[in-house]
Amino acid sequence: MVVCTGCSCLCDDVEVELDGERVVKVKHACRIGAGIFLNYNVSRAEPMVNGKPTDIDEAVEKAIEILKDSRKVAIYGLDNTTLEAQKIAIDLAEKIGAMIDNGSKFGRLVELMLKNEIPTTTLEDVKDYAYVIVYWGCDVHNSMPRHMSRYTYYPRGKKRQRGYEEDRFLVVVDVRRSHTAMLAKKNAVFIETNDDQKLVREFICALNGGVASREVLRIVKEVKKSEFNVVFGGEGLIKGLKNLEDFVEFVKMFGYFIPADYHPNSMGFFRTMFERTGRVDSYDFGTDSEMSFENALINGQIDTVLIVADDPPNSMPFDVIRKLADVNTIVLDPKRSFTSKIADIVIPSAISGVECGGTMIRSDGVCVELKPIFKSKFDDVKILRRIERGL
Amino acid sequence: MPSPMDIYKLLPKTNCKLCGEQTCMSFAFKLITREKRLEDCKPLLSPEFGEQRRKIEEMLRVVEKATETGLVVNEDLCIGCGSCIVVCPVHVYEDPEGAGSGFGVRLENPILIVENGVVRVVNVELCRRYKEKTICVACRENCPTSAIAFLEEL
Repeated sequence: MVVCTGCSCLCDDVEVELDGERVVKVKHACRIGAGIFLNYNVSRAEPMVNGKPTDIDEAVEKAIEILKDSRKVAIYGLDNTTLEAQKIAIDLAEKIGAMIDNGSKFGRLVELMLKNEIPTTTLEDVKDYAYVIVYWGCDVHNSMPRHMSRYTYYPRGKKRQRGYEEDRFLVVVDVRRSHTAMLAKKNAVFIETNDDQKLVREFICALNGGVASREVLRIVKEVKKSEFNVVFGGEGLIKGLKNLEDFVEFVKMFGYFIPADYHPNSMGFFRTMFERTGRVDSYDFGTDSEMSFENALINGQIDTVLIVADDPPNSMPFDVIRKLADVNTIVLDPKRSFTSKIADIVIPSAISGVECGGTMIRSDGVCVELKPIFKSKFDDVKILRRIERGL
Repeated sequence: MPSPMDIYKLLPKTNCKLCGEQTCMSFAFKLITREKRLEDCKPLLSPEFGEQRRKIEEMLRVVEKATETGLVVNEDLCIGCGSCIVVCPVHVYEDPEGAGSGFGVRLENPILIVENGVVRVVNVELCRRYKEKTICVACRENCPTSAIAFLEEL
C-alpha cells in the first residue's frame, strides 16, 4: 500500500507491483496516480547551469551564488512537495527576506477556515454523515477523479448505509455541463450559473424562508432534512465571488465547507505559513506585507525566482510568465518541464511519495504520511537545507 | 449494436439449415448473442458472398469486444475514477468494507478493477446481468466519460 500524490485526495489504498526498479502494475489508482508511478523514471530532469549539463553539487553551489547576489528573491511553488520541505523553504525565505507564494488560489477561503470563521469538516465525516453534497465551481471528476467515489457521493458510510441513490443528494453548480454535472441524475440538481454571487444570495434568501428559484427551493428542502451538509468549492467559486461575507454567511447556514483544491499539498503550505506569519500565502518577509508572485513578476520587483516542484508556465498567463526571461530562474523539480527549459539552473530532486517520504496535508486538513517505494539520494528537503546552510 | 434484421439482409436467405438453425433469421439472432459463429454459415464462405461477408464481419466487430453480459469498456475514455467499482451492487454486497466504502476493491475475483489507471473486466460471471439476468446498468449510469457501455445501447 502506498500513498498517491497525484491530487489532494492523497489516496492511501494504492497497490504497486514492482519488477526490480520498474513499476509494472498500479492497482486502484486513477489515471493521474497510475501515471506518476508507472512513468516515474521517464523524462527526468538533469542538473544544468545555463543550459549546460553539469553535476548536482555544482548546480547547487551556483544556485547559492546567485541567491547571495540577488536584490530580491521570490520562492514559488511548493504545492507538490512535502511539509518538511515547505518548512525549510519558509525558513529560507525568512532568512533572506524573500517573498513566498504558492500556485493555489484558495488562500482567501483557507485563511477563514484556519481562523475558524467558516465551519469545516473532514472527508471521513462527509462519507459517514453527509446528505446534501454541493460541488461548486469545480469539475472534480477530472481534477480529482477519485474524490466522489472514495470520499463523498458514492461510498456508504456509518449513517449513510443505503448509498448514493437514497442517502445522498448531489448538487453541482458550474458554468457549463461538466463531467461532474453529468453525474447529477436522480436525487440531484445541476445549476448552470454565470453569477455565483447572485446564487449565493438566492440561497441565503431561500434558507431564511424567502423567495428563490424552483431548483434552489428544492435543494433547501433537502438541506432541512439533514444536519450534515457540505459544500466543496473549487477555483470557479473563488474567482466568481466578489466578496466572501455572503458566502461565509451561506456556509454557516448550510453546513460545512471543504476546498476542492487539486494541489496535493497546498493545505500544508497554507497551514505552515499561517502558523508562522498569520497569513496563508503571498507574503513578503522583507517588508512583512502581502505580495503576490504574479504582481511581483509583472512589476519587476524581483530579480531571482526559486521554483520548487512546480511548473508556472503551465498554469499562468503568457503575459505574466514571459517576465521569467528577465529574472534568474532556479528550478528544483524531479521532471523536465517548461520551467526547466527556460531556467538558468536546474536541480533535479525526488518525486514525493515515490522516491522520498514525508508528510502531506489533504485538502480537508488531515495529515497523511507518505510511503515511498524507492529511496533517492537527493530530495527537496536535502537540497533546500544545503542551500539554506550555504547562505 | 447491429440489429438482427440488418444482418439477415446480408445473409444468403436460403434457409438451407446447414448451420443447424431452422431459418437464416434465427441464425442472425444467434450471431449477435454469440451462440453461433459466422463460419457456421457454409454458403457465405463462397466467393460470391465475399462483399456481404465483409460487411457482416464489420458489424459484428463491436459484438466481439463485449463480454458475455454485453459490457464494453473503452479504455481510451476511462480515467480510472473507480465510480463503477463503488456503485456495483455485487461489490457492495460482497465487499462492504472495501469497494462499498469507497476503497479499492478487496475481493480476490472482482467484476471490475482499476489497473494502471483504467478499468478492466476481470470476472464477469459474478455480474448480476450474467447470473440473475437482471438489467442492471449502475456502472454505465455513473460513467460520465462513456467508457462503459452495454451492447444493447450501442
